Amino acid sequence: MRTKKLSVLILILAVMAMITVYEGLVVAEDDIVGGGEIIYTKPLKSVLFSHKSHAAMGLDCNACHDKIFQMAALSAQDKADFNMKGLYDKKYCGSCHAKDGMAFASDTQCARCHIGTKGFNSAPKEAKK
Amino acid sequence: MILNKIKIEGLKKEDPGIIPAMERRAFLKMGLLITGVFAGGSVLSATSIVEKAFASSGEFAEKYPYKPHYSMVIHQDRCIDCELCMTACVKTNNVPTYGYRTRVFERDDQKATERKREFIPVLCNQCNNPPCVLGCPTKATYKNPTNGIVMMESKKCIGCKTCMAACPYNARYFNEETSAVDKCDFCFNSRLSKGEKLTACAEACPAKCRVFGDLSDSGSEVYQAVHNLEKTVWVLRPDAGAKPNVFYMKG
Repeated sequence: MRTKKLSVLILILAVMAMITVYEGLVVAEDDIVGGGEIIYTKPLKSVLFSHKSHAAMGLDCNACHDKIFQMAALSAQDKADFNMKGLYDKKYCGSCHAKDGMAFASDTQCARCHIGTKGFNSAPKEAKK
Repeated sequence: MILNKIKIEGLKKEDPGIIPAMERRAFLKMGLLITGVFAGGSVLSATSIVEKAFASSGEFAEKYPYKPHYSMVIHQDRCIDCELCMTACVKTNNVPTYGYRTRVFERDDQKATERKREFIPVLCNQCNNPPCVLGCPTKATYKNPTNGIVMMESKKCIGCKTCMAACPYNARYFNEETSAVDKCDFCFNSRLSKGEKLTACAEACPAKCRVFGDLSDSGSEVYQAVHNLEKTVWVLRPDAGAKPNVFYMKG
């Protein structure tokens, strides 16, 4: 009797868990725009780039791809000039994030893009590549 | 401690009670108490911070009791939590994985416009009036009479942890290997005493967030920052009356 009760309980829990996972997947798929959320970890931890928030501002793919950024995610961080100096020279993010650019300048609001080590550690798995 | 307040016409000292409960909680969580000066910069105190931090008399702005009077100015808005400071500290001072000499705290404010996140580095404030030294029963922790650094003589430490409880900045941990409390000494033993000019964390910081120097030297970067009336400078937990030597500012 006891085993039966237990197995019923396990079954209910399993169904609930499956529903949760399924809902999670649906939401996650809706959330992904373009390459999703990507987190740069070089030259230091870490910087978040959100395709979603950039697309929401009306930018389309070829605004950045692939003149400023190659299609392959994170390929920029293997380049030696992918750092703040490079950005100040209007490379990469600095193409728009500049004093006279269309977005806030690279030398302002540091922690808006820099999510740090804590941000990296608490980020969802799919953002860490 | 009697504080001389600067009276500025039309400027009132704001009641810390107006800080939203969420932010208050976030701060309590990181072990910092909100006082007249809010580290997030939302509440500005009309009391001169330098004076508040240092003295009940006005002489401190001109005169510092140590030579060199080591100090750190933290440009809070520049911190990006890369933790290179923590990594450098651990390596330089043999800090075990469970311990720390410096940490970086995070504060989120979803109601903020634009940037919604900030990072706050915290280390031993090398207080002029250190509660840890006052509490230590064996004088294992003491104030270096020359440079004012709060030091540890681990041989004398009996591990009672009174200093840990007394520290307003939670800047001490118990080192199991040495059976003594360990803390930041501005890298005195590992670097300054060997002729280096900077702490490991200040040297490792890629964002020039941590600026280290001699507050008794009017030409130093720390003196220039602390004595710049164009900027708001504050200390953590001024109410503790510890007269800290780590200052915070933005911009």
